Amino acid sequence: MVDGQGSEKISVADLPIAEDRDAAWRMIRARGRTVDLGGEIALTDIETVETAFRQPAVFSSMKAFEMLASPLPLVPIAFDPPEQTRYRRILQPFFSPRAIRPLEAGLRRQVIEIIEPLAARGECDFVAEVAGIFPVQAFLTLFGFPLDMRDQLIVWKDAVLGLVDASGNTALEGAAAEAARGKAGELFFYLSDLVTKRRGVAGDDVLSRLLCLAGEEALTDEEAIGLCFLFVLAGLDTVTGSLGFGMERLARNPVQRREIVDDPSLIPAAVEELVRLDPPAPFVPRVTAKETELDGRTLPAGTRVFGYLAAANRDEVRHPDPYAVNFHRGDNPHASFGIGVHRCLGSHLARMEMRLVYAEWHKRIPDYSVAPGAVPRVKWPQGTLGLEALPLVFPPWVAR
Amino acid sequence: MKVTIDRDRCAGHGLCYMVAPDVFTDDEDGYGHPALAGELTTELLTSARRAAGSCPEQAIAITGEAEMAAG
Repeated sequence: MVDGQGSEKISVADLPIAEDRDAAWRMIRARGRTVDLGGEIALTDIETVETAFRQPAVFSSMKAFEMLASPLPLVPIAFDPPEQTRYRRILQPFFSPRAIRPLEAGLRRQVIEIIEPLAARGECDFVAEVAGIFPVQAFLTLFGFPLDMRDQLIVWKDAVLGLVDASGNTALEGAAAEAARGKAGELFFYLSDLVTKRRGVAGDDVLSRLLCLAGEEALTDEEAIGLCFLFVLAGLDTVTGSLGFGMERLARNPVQRREIVDDPSLIPAAVEELVRLDPPAPFVPRVTAKETELDGRTLPAGTRVFGYLAAANRDEVRHPDPYAVNFHRGDNPHASFGIGVHRCLGSHLARMEMRLVYAEWHKRIPDYSVAPGAVPRVKWPQGTLGLEALPLVFPPWVAR
Repeated sequence: MKVTIDRDRCAGHGLCYMVAPDVFTDDEDGYGHPALAGELTTELLTSARRAAGSCPEQAIAITGEAEMAAG
């Protein structure tokens, strides 16, 4: 528990997240397995993260998300077992590998339609033109929303996500906060309207099927709207963030990039490795429901702790040479999709999306680099991390 | 040798059937299950070990390896 380097207090704001995440994770890991960041405790080690996240009754998600003061029940992320168990049981069949496989061919076509015009151009902002839009389209496809809602949905979710910072505190003030709350309201009304309209109408999409559930599994309108809201917040920027980080790593590591160009069967392993290095939601909150011990510290009831997943993923024992990009690790038990009962519900969909983008991109654009002079930065402070922009340049692709 | 998944720990990450489809299979909800009817053969041991090492919940156990080595 004793801080490894220096006894002076640090806070999240001292970490160079915007410019150099690897340095930030090194810095916090050097201070110990648990680090006091002015009242909140960062769990920087895989074992402490596992210990905490496997005791959902002690390290509560419900208490952690109460602070967001969401007007809607954030199903299931803001619940603890047993309520959370019920929601998971209802939702999991919709997001399992078997359930999403039928979407793959259609999503692949969408990826190709996004990439080909850019490929011919020889340059693009990968974040704005690929990573920022494909996950939104995938969500719209899964939920049976019209694809032309894409740009409106992006405006809404950007406003909502901008409302809170990495610690879940209000990030905006005054008029800006008011405007963002207005956008959140518009999203809420759009979703409520949709839930009302789809209720009782048969359809193949996830929302229609969720609304048709009966008996013990039936969801109230409020639960269904909360669920949609959470999917918008959790399922879009995370994949956008991961793709941006992944492509920057690939752009800067031509040897590893060449490996997936030459052998696309390595892409699933590459997805895991890139997600290990750069989890887009690296700060996972819990609040202690009662006094407990962790790493020799006594944590009173009500203590906020954050699982620092990117730091935990840099454990030298589980991941030898943890800062290196290596698509041949064999096993890669990273924590980027979370640990325990709250493991990311959309992980299989997220993996599929990333796999499709990396596969179709590298078929057409095997060689590329970050545009000269560009320094990709992360939007910060924010709970979900992602690059603001990633300008890439490459030899224009010619369709055969 | 036998391979088992601790149901209390398994959170449905899905890595076992991804890295070792010859040893594990997925169910409708995305949870992994041993796909073998009986014992784990030596041929599949490497694959099973890889899955065990990949599991973020450390939910996979391989038992009876020592007896095989001894026997």
